[in-house]
Order: sequence, then structure tokens, then C-alpha cells
Amino acid sequence: MLRRLLPEFRSNDDRRFFLLHSPTTLIVLLILLSIITVLMLYSVPVLRKEGLGVFIKNIWRPSDYDPEAEVYGLAAAIYGSVYTGLIAVIVAAPLALASAIVVEELIPRRAKGLVSTLMDLMAATPTIIYGIWGMAYLAPLMHRVLLLLHHHLSWLPFFSEPPTTGYTIGTAGILLGIMATPYAAAVIREAYSMIPTHLREAAYAIGATRFEVVRILVSLIKPSILAGLALAFARAIGETVAVSLVIGNSFNISPSITVPGYTVSSLIASQFANAGLYMYMESALFAGGLVLFIVGLVVNALTIWYMKRWEEAIKRV
Amino acid sequence: MVEYAVEVNDLHVWLGERHILQGVTFRCPERTVTAIMGPSGTGKSTVLRAINRLLDLNPEAKVRGRVKIFGVDVYSVEPYVVRRHVGMVFQEPNPFPHISIYDNVALGPKLHGIVRSKKELDELVKWALEKAMLWDEVKNRLYDLPTKLSGGQKQRLSLARALALKPRILLLDEPTANIDPVNAMKIEEAIKSIVREEGITVILVTHMPAQAVRISDFLVFMYKGKVVEQGPTRDVALHPRSELTERFMRGEL
Ligand SMILES: Nc1ncnc2c1ncn2[C@@H]1O[C@H](COP(=O)(O)OP(=O)(O)O)[C@@H](O)[C@H]1O
Ligand SMILES: [Mg+2]
Repeated sequence: MLRRLLPEFRSNDDRRFFLLHSPTTLIVLLILLSIITVLMLYSVPVLRKEGLGVFIKNIWRPSDYDPEAEVYGLAAAIYGSVYTGLIAVIVAAPLALASAIVVEELIPRRAKGLVSTLMDLMAATPTIIYGIWGMAYLAPLMHRVLLLLHHHLSWLPFFSEPPTTGYTIGTAGILLGIMATPYAAAVIREAYSMIPTHLREAAYAIGATRFEVVRILVSLIKPSILAGLALAFARAIGETVAVSLVIGNSFNISPSITVPGYTVSSLIASQFANAGLYMYMESALFAGGLVLFIVGLVVNALTIWYMKRWEEAIKRV
Repeated sequence: MVEYAVEVNDLHVWLGERHILQGVTFRCPERTVTAIMGPSGTGKSTVLRAINRLLDLNPEAKVRGRVKIFGVDVYSVEPYVVRRHVGMVFQEPNPFPHISIYDNVALGPKLHGIVRSKKELDELVKWALEKAMLWDEVKNRLYDLPTKLSGGQKQRLSLARALALKPRILLLDEPTANIDPVNAMKIEEAIKSIVREEGITVILVTHMPAQAVRISDFLVFMYKGKVVEQGPTRDVALHPRSELTERFMRGEL
């Protein structure tokens, strides 16, 4: 019976390889499983108390005396995560695409290495560095920019509120976009460089200019671009330290990017230390973690599904 | 004075250090098919790529000599202008996999703004697909991706895409090499009618002597980067003067 479940081995080496590596896979699986379990178990108390309202309400009221008076709702944090994530994608999309095209098409081969090293460096920079850079430089700059935008474009919902500081949803979104750019760019570049020569030549052969060829080739790798942006989104909603330093940490649900906000990650980071003082806060934070986990899972699954479908359609022309 | 559709004069090409073409000279009168033959690695594709300046894409390539189409030196104008008037079909079928059959054909005309309305574009696409002998097979699935077409159909789609630009010259680089005989015959038919009815001048690289005899008016036989022998196809194919040509025709090279 068990025989059938096990793969066939050609040699002892095969067997050793399998025996050596199957535990590793198993460990990874177990870790994932335990993450899900912990997230769910710890979310139970708040779910019991608040029901699904914990995901929908925008309220954060700990109580020092009466646990039953505590009320938690993650809406602002979830909203902030999605909103900053989308801003990050909007920022990262042109940056990543442009940098990928510049590296693959425009600069001489010798300079390629330099630019990709810079990109790698950007990806390897610890997020706390982005955070303090964001606080020291980006936030003040954004304050001025947002003031200007609010002044001239306050009829747009995105700039409707006057910015009181530079610590805003917009600042966080832009910082996240910058941080996610090298990751999205790597995915896009990889896809671009793998475009087969015969398709590139096909584009030139119909009399396309360099610029038009790039346009055609970019449209050819659209699914990979989407995948790169999905990765950027996933990274953005998972990012913690840098965001909590620049987002202003307050429970707002506003279309305006000029106000401070929260993300689920920054909420967890900033509240977890004293959450133990309360009955339900920790549980509410775990519920937030569960949301993040699920969103990440869904985004990944959708991306993989989409890429698969695309690859099958495109396969071998 | 006769004006030639294509004149290649003392063409030299280096790829890096290698001297690939060593003084190639031939001429193609308008509305004719010129076949270029020779063993593989001889530089036939390189000749075509020098004519439509695809060689420009290779930073290692150096070109010397002259290529004229209808009296115009192709190296004196922008490469995309050359390619807009000189179509090319490659050995490997290469329709764009991500856009529909229709869009594959329509892309070139749209880029160059050679139609003024959707109706004109529809007509042009139909015309090109008919000329490529593909219309009947795809007319009910114009908006499908080309990925489900057979290899031969894909190659005819590549031909239609080239034709949609109404080129005056068409370069075909072993277009039937990877394709089944039935599809190959269709492509040959298409080539003949393109020349006869549309007055397009064709340069066809082929490895099949029989194909050259069937559809070409002139034959250029190359060996190791040089032209060994050229002339009207029948003369060269049936009464080769060079021993190399003769051996190639017998399938020994
Ligand atoms: N991109 C390239 N770089 C260097 N050498 C090349 C390149 N493309 C082709 N060659 C060489 O140029 C020679 C001629 O190639 P090609 O024109 O493709 O020959 P043919 O089409 O007659 O088979 C071959 O020896 C080939 O190895
Ligand atoms: Mg060749």
C-alpha cells in the first residue's frame, strides 16, 4: 500500500536524495500549516466577540478596566494596506517597466551590469533604511508636494484633505512603490530578456521603429508585467517597518492620500508590544495577520493561475 | 537603362572578426523571383539581412558595398523605411502569439498608417490572407490567437503579415524548410501569384533545387560567402558551369 504512494527509485542515490529532501519539504509544509493554525486560533477570541465586524468596523478602543468594553475593528488598517499597496503598484509600474526597458534595450552591454547591481543593491537595502530615509527626506518633501496638490487639486478626492504633516498614506504608498520597484523590475526584465529573437525580428521586419518594437514586445510580456506588479503589491502589503515610520499611524478611512493612516502590518508592529495588556487586542492583531495572509495567498494564486493560462496560450509559436 | 528592383554590388559583411560575405554581386529585375541557393552557413541569410538591414541589429556586424532597391541605396535611408517596403518571411514561422490572427496582419498597416478606415483595414487583411492562401482556413476565427494554427498555417500567416504592407520586394528565407509538403506547395503557389498579379519582386533562399526550378526566374548559387554562379534558373540548374553547383544540385554538398 505504502509502496504505491512512494515514487519509484531508479537507484540508491535516488532513494537517498528523496529521503534527504522529503523532510525539508515536510518541514516547510509544517511551518506553513502552523502559521495558519496559529493565525486562526489566536483570531478566535476577537471573532467570537466581534464576529466578522472586526474586519468591517473602523474602531480601536482598548479598555484598561473592562475587557468586555474593548472594541476592535480593522477596517482602517485593511483599507490602508490596500490603498498604499495600490499606490505602490502605480508608482512601481512605470519605474520598474522603464528601468527594465532601459537595461534591456537602451544601454550598452557593459553598463548593464552596473545598473542591475544598483537594482540588486536597492532590493538588498534593509527596509529600516528606507524607513529612516522616508522620515528624514521623503516625508518633508511629500508634505510640500501634497500641500501644493491640495492647493490646486482639492476638488479631486485624492487630495481633498489638507495635509498637516508629511506622514501620510501617500508618502507610505510612494515609499512602498520605490521599495517594490526592484522586485517588479526583476520579473519584467527576466521576461523581456527571454523574448525569442524570432519575435523581435518579426517586429523589426514589419518596419517598426525601435520604439514601436519595444511597444510590441512589452505587450507581448504583459502577463509577466502583471505578475511583477502583483509581486510588488504583495511585498507592499507585507512591508512593516518602513511604513510604520512614515504613514502617521492613525485610523483614517479617507480617499485623500494627504492624511495619515494605518496598514495592517504597521498596526501590528506598533500595537503588538502593549497588546498583552488587554484581553482582545492581541487577538484582533492576529485577525489582521490572517487577512494579510489570505490576501497574499489570493494575489499569488491569481498570478500563478493567470501566468499558467497565458503560458499555455502562448506556448511555442 | 534597365532599373533593377534589387541591386547588390560587391557586398561584404563581417560579423565580428569573420568575413562572412566576400563580395556578393547580383541583380533582380522587377517582377521576378531570384532564388539564392548554397550549402548552409554560406551566408544566404546574411545577404537577405543586409538587404533589409536587419543586420543593423547585430552590433558586431560591419557592412561594405552597396545595396540598392529601385535605385535607392538602402544604407542612405532609415532602416525602418527600408523594411516597410521590403517584407521578410523567416525560416521559422513567427506570428506574434499574443495577438489575434487579424491583428497580426493588421499590425504593420496600422503602424505605418496605410489605411484610413476600419473597412479599408478589413479589406487589406482579407486581401493579404487571401494572397497567402490562408483566408479560407481562418476566416471564421480571425480573432483567435494564432497559437492553434499548424506550422504551415503559421508560416502563411507570417507571409500575410509581410504582404499586408504591400511591399515591393519580398525576402523569403527558406520559408518552407520546416513545413510539410502540402503547406509548402501552397506557399509556392502564393509566391507565384504574388509576383504575377501584384508585381512584387521576390528573393527566395531555398535549399531545394526542385523548388528553385519550379518558381524562380534567376538563380544565384553561393558558396562560402561568394557567388559561384548565377543566371537564368534553367541554365544554372540544368547546365551548371561550376562543379560546386553541379554537386549541390545533385545533393552532394
Ligand atoms: N549573429 C551571428 N554572429 C556570428 N556569426 C554568425 C551570426 N549569424 C550567422 N553567423 C555565421 O555567418 C555565417 C553565414 O550564416 P548564414 O547567413 O545564416 O548562412 P546560411 O543562411 O547560408 O545558412 C555562418 O557561418 C554563421 O555561423
Ligand atoms: Mg539561413
